[in-house]
Amino acid sequence: MGRFQRAVGVMILGTAVLGGLLLWLAVSSTQHHGGQAPREWFVLGLWQVLYDTAAPSSGELLAATGMALLFAAGVALLERRISNRSRRSEDLDRLPLAPKIVMAETRGVFHGPVTITVLVPAHNEAACIADTLRSLQSQSHRPERIIVVADNCSDATEDIAAAMGVEVFPTVGNTRKKAGALNQALREVLPRQGENDLVMVMDADTVLDDGFLEAAVRRMTADRGLIAIGGLFYGESGKGLLGQFQRNEYARYAREMERRRGRVFVLTGTASVFRPRALRTVAAERGRALPGVPGDVYDTIALTEDNELTLALKSLGGLMISPPDCTVVTEVMPTWKALWVQRLRWQRGALENLGAYGTTPQTFRYWAQQLGIGYGVIALASYLVLVTLMMVSLDQWVWFPFWVGIGVVFGIERIVSVWRAGPAGRLLGATLIPELVFAMFLNVVYVKGIIDISLAKSASWEHDDVAGAPVPVEPAVLERAA
Amino acid sequence: MSGLVQAWGLLLPETFLSSPFVAVLATFVAINTVMYLSLAVAKLLPKVYVSDYLQGANRRSENRSIHPHDPV
Repeated sequence: MGRFQRAVGVMILGTAVLGGLLLWLAVSSTQHHGGQAPREWFVLGLWQVLYDTAAPSSGELLAATGMALLFAAGVALLERRISNRSRRSEDLDRLPLAPKIVMAETRGVFHGPVTITVLVPAHNEAACIADTLRSLQSQSHRPERIIVVADNCSDATEDIAAAMGVEVFPTVGNTRKKAGALNQALREVLPRQGENDLVMVMDADTVLDDGFLEAAVRRMTADRGLIAIGGLFYGESGKGLLGQFQRNEYARYAREMERRRGRVFVLTGTASVFRPRALRTVAAERGRALPGVPGDVYDTIALTEDNELTLALKSLGGLMISPPDCTVVTEVMPTWKALWVQRLRWQRGALENLGAYGTTPQTFRYWAQQLGIGYGVIALASYLVLVTLMMVSLDQWVWFPFWVGIGVVFGIERIVSVWRAGPAGRLLGATLIPELVFAMFLNVVYVKGIIDISLAKSASWEHDDVAGAPVPVEPAVLERAA
Repeated sequence: MSGLVQAWGLLLPETFLSSPFVAVLATFVAINTVMYLSLAVAKLLPKVYVSDYLQGANRRSENRSIHPHDPV
């Protein structure tokens, strides 16, 4: 790991800390009076309630609101500007997947109808492969080919797949996990794919919603410039409260994607569709414009290979989308330990990818996202310190109307943003505190990820054993603050 | 005499809450919370795309379909 890659975490967290420090200094340079004594109020003349009217000044409120909105709008505008520049680029050397270039190269010629070849990488997936394959075979637009990429399977995965009438591609001597297995299969498959013979990569623990492929084919038929479509994923049902936390998180992510009109953060490994041109170009650019081994589609060093491939395609100017009609249901982690391992890998993978790609226009949004989460860690931690200090210093419960008001607005936001997760999700959102605890858990993972990468601690793939199945790869759900 | 009688919480005296440090911390937390609240409210409101209201901003200049003879 290079020095820059190791420094990535420290750079991000350091910037966030610096921001917090500046705000702290600005706050302490203004005059602050100790709070007034709480007042008494008798509800219905009987029940004594203590309350404190302490609240920030209107100037402070305005400054805070302005700063937050300016930051958010600034990031959004810059991101839009950068993606528009890619969309209009005609720079064949730097952005060979830019839509104008792709369209120029395919103009006026019919390269055949859109077909779909699905690759399902599987490592001992006997428990779930049948459901995955059934969801493919029952699509309103059935894929032309389904290939299970059986990677060092010692269970019945291959037999089940063969019995269901799909092709099985056993890997040979693969030690590079999922990315290595996919590279082997793609080396066989890609050379025979025509311009519109799409390749879909789908996790074996994922079930495709009906209509996914039909929508993908429709969009790929209508737009020659579009080179990839990413699925929108929802969490499977079950796994209790921990499952609901993850379902809520995924539901918010899906809502955010719709608000972005499908502008992709990450082409999820759970299910994404690519034009072969996109994958061929990535393989050709590795070792040149992109990190990785020349000829490989997936970077086998990356912990989060789907995030890495997204960065690769974006860096080459590719146009991609995550439309609301392409949805998949994916596994949720059953235990806190499994979730810890999964998220640590996502976080570590996201940071390593940023280190590998550096500060480019295409990675700007991801840097901003990491910085946003870093500042969120500081904000949430300082909030918890304040609440703890209050709790150990007050001998009676005191109400703070200002904070109660803020809590109510947050409660509404938590409910509305998670509406599609159903009544259980809304109830969990409304209770605020449990989701705050969940956010704190993710924050601890974030800090651990930064410590690990800074110390160059070797990253692990142990999740396979912890969770009992490979986990979906989706760092973008870490998106919470920016 | 009143200085001798002080209300205590679980661990700290109540007067600790009127110290300058806590006042700064409270304002720091308040500003951060309001920042996140503004972002949360902004995400609740419908997103406006200016380009939707600009004529021609989303007009295709050529047929993008894989079928070369489809209308634009």
